[in-house]
Amino acid sequence: MARADGHGVTEWETRQADEVLVRARGGDTAAFAELVRAQQRMVFSLGVRMLADRQKAEDLAQDVFLQLHRKLSSIQSGAHLAPWLRQVTARKAIDRLRREPKHEVELTAAEGCAVEEQDADPLLEQQLRGLLGELSPHARAVIVLRFQDDLDPVDIARALDMSVNTVKSHLQRSLTFLRERATRKNLQASIRPLRAVNATREPT
Amino acid sequence: MNPDPQDNFENRLRAALQPVEPSEGFADRVMTRIAADAVKRARMGASRWFVMALAASLVAAIVVGEQWQRRQEQAGIEARRQLLEALRVTREKLDLAYQVVNSEARSPSRDAGS
Repeated sequence: MARADGHGVTEWETRQADEVLVRARGGDTAAFAELVRAQQRMVFSLGVRMLADRQKAEDLAQDVFLQLHRKLSSIQSGAHLAPWLRQVTARKAIDRLRREPKHEVELTAAEGCAVEEQDADPLLEQQLRGLLGELSPHARAVIVLRFQDDLDPVDIARALDMSVNTVKSHLQRSLTFLRERATRKNLQASIRPLRAVNATREPT
Repeated sequence: MNPDPQDNFENRLRAALQPVEPSEGFADRVMTRIAADAVKRARMGASRWFVMALAASLVAAIVVGEQWQRRQEQAGIEARRQLLEALRVTREKLDLAYQVVNSEARSPSRDAGS
């Protein structure tokens, strides 16, 4: 399966990242801007899914790239760049969610995205994105890294500094929770119109 | 063959979590923020140097002041020691003079008696 952050990014990572990283380390701002453009989708998407707010995700993504700029010398190679960014973004997002009193998110249309699949169910997908907000910050990060960035449990464990077993446990429990909640919501959604119809049929 | 409902759900989740692009000009905003951060850090660096220089001056002033005070104290102790020494010498001289005067005062009466 193709990587969620896009085939182009993967090619960019393997072919040009080292060269651009060296130029950016040397103070070439155009090279650093190129780095940002190549990785902004992955960083911003992770932020949006974690924080469920485009503005907060933009702030988070800017902070991440600012930190990257300050710590460019600590990035060993282009291949380390995406994992480093993913790790920093996920940890910053978790920290921000912990600081906020409420983990639940209210999903607006802005957080959604156009799905190109023919059999797409935008309502269910919106529900699923909303249900993510009911997961704990760590569980949410695991789900997003698994299903958005298509990482395997080992890479997720590395990004979130947790054991592989913990990742697998989070995945299993969160999927069960999401499936149950989505099913319940769908049932409620289908029952509500029926009740409305019955109410109009009842004699006055 | 029916599709696995678990796979179907995971595919739905994958579709729901498709990556999204930030708004137009994101990289430019990042670069602007980096430039502003560089200016801020330079200012902070300069003010840090100023604070450090001020702190170093204060420390130097305190050290010099303490040394001056210590020297003054030592000079006072030395002056006291010299004064005591002078008093001791004076007392010895006075004792000597007293003894001489006493002995001379006794001598004429002894002469007169003999």
